[in-house]
Amino acid sequence: MKVLALDFPPVSHLFEWPDFAFEGTHLAMNKTVLIYLFALVLTMWLFMSAGAKKSLVPRGVSHVAEGGINFVEDSIVMQTMGAEGKKYVPFLTTMFFFIFFSNIFEVIPFIQFPANARMAVPIAMALLVWVIYNFLGVKNQGFFGYLKNSLFPPGVPKALYLIVTPIEFFSVFIIRPLSLAIRLWANMVAGHLLLVTFAVLSATLWDSTYVGAVAPAAMLVIMTGFEILVSFLQAFIFTILTAVYMGGAIHPEH
Amino acid sequence: MKKRIFLASILGALLLTFGMAGTASASGESVGSCAIEEIEAFEEETGLSLHDLHGGGNEEALETLSDSVEGCIEAPSPIIPEWNEVIWGGGAFLVLLALMMWKGFPAVQKIMNQRSEQIASDLDQADQAKADAQAVKAQYEAELADAKSEASRIIEEARQQAEGLRSDLQARAESDIAEMRNQASVDIEAARDRAMSDLQAEVSDIVVGAAERVVEANLDAKTQAQLIENYINQVGSS
Repeated sequence: MKVLALDFPPVSHLFEWPDFAFEGTHLAMNKTVLIYLFALVLTMWLFMSAGAKKSLVPRGVSHVAEGGINFVEDSIVMQTMGAEGKKYVPFLTTMFFFIFFSNIFEVIPFIQFPANARMAVPIAMALLVWVIYNFLGVKNQGFFGYLKNSLFPPGVPKALYLIVTPIEFFSVFIIRPLSLAIRLWANMVAGHLLLVTFAVLSATLWDSTYVGAVAPAAMLVIMTGFEILVSFLQAFIFTILTAVYMGGAIHPEH
Repeated sequence: MKKRIFLASILGALLLTFGMAGTASASGESVGSCAIEEIEAFEEETGLSLHDLHGGGNEEALETLSDSVEGCIEAPSPIIPEWNEVIWGGGAFLVLLALMMWKGFPAVQKIMNQRSEQIASDLDQADQAKADAQAVKAQYEAELADAKSEASRIIEEARQQAEGLRSDLQARAESDIAEMRNQASVDIEAARDRAMSDLQAEVSDIVVGAAERVVEANLDAKTQAQLIENYINQVGSS
């Protein structure tokens, strides 16, 4: 594909990886699957290592694991669910680290691909979140109470319910999981495309002009730093929105 | 040292970023190379070349080739998840969640709780030690205040004793002086009386003597004057 006279790889080639095991089956393994497994192992290693170090002052991995727990508890759970949400800290912490590690491989040399640029895990986790917050809503408010609080928000003139109720229905039960998944997926796709664009541009201009590669190379470095921030930010946003939805299901007045 | 590590890190990151940029693409092939591969495969399968397709009668083959070449650009919708990735990715998350709930999270949480308890215990101990130190300090201060008060009392007592002693001594001295003065007055008075008495006796004797002499002889004026002068000299010398 010629883009700006450059030989740009087809977009599908940037995101679809060939299977290397169990080809043609539902258990086929590719690079994306490997990254998810890396994310699993990394998160477990981080917490098990931190749990094995019994020092008064946290150091190294302990700092990361304990900082992560404190961050999720103080900046996410306490801000959205209050003290009642502390029992969900393990779930939200796991979610945060799994998404972050899946994302951060975008800038890890030799790998350079964010696993969440594939729709699989974002949609799977969004559906899990959907199930959890609806379950919590029914459990805490009762089936009809949850429906009433979700579809008929208080303080709205009754005539407006004709408009508001269908909107709320789509928003709470259909759009939420989709927006949660698509936000994460699209951000990682866009980030990966940006990095590939500047990498291809740098390589091509280096081959032809040398000097022309300076600007795109600088942009590549800047965007790499920016994508580290995006990887963190998207993990944070996914987790805090999950907490907001769960908190809303537990406390309808919020 | 830190500066060197920092510079080396930047250099390493740059090398890795540029050196490994190729891995960002799945296969590294471009649309052009894909199309060439498709055409070659088509020619191999059908035995037809591109030149053969320009003439009439090969519309079906041309359409087949067009579809396969277009496949190089088209791709499955990226928003539709692949089942194998959903199974592995979702499964990985669920397994991780179970492991974290079972082992990972409680292990770290336990360490954090232990640390919190230890810090709280240390703080309690520090508070206790501080309270003890303050109590000891207060006791020392009270004792010091008592000692100062006792010292003041002793000094005041000594001062009062000294004052009393001084007053006594002064009174005694004044009394002694007054007594001595009285005694002296008495002595002087007695001495004066005695002197007067002696004088009177002497004068009487002299007068008697003088009278005796006057009687014994006629006194001329000159002798009389001599007598008076002698008398005066005698009185003056006594």
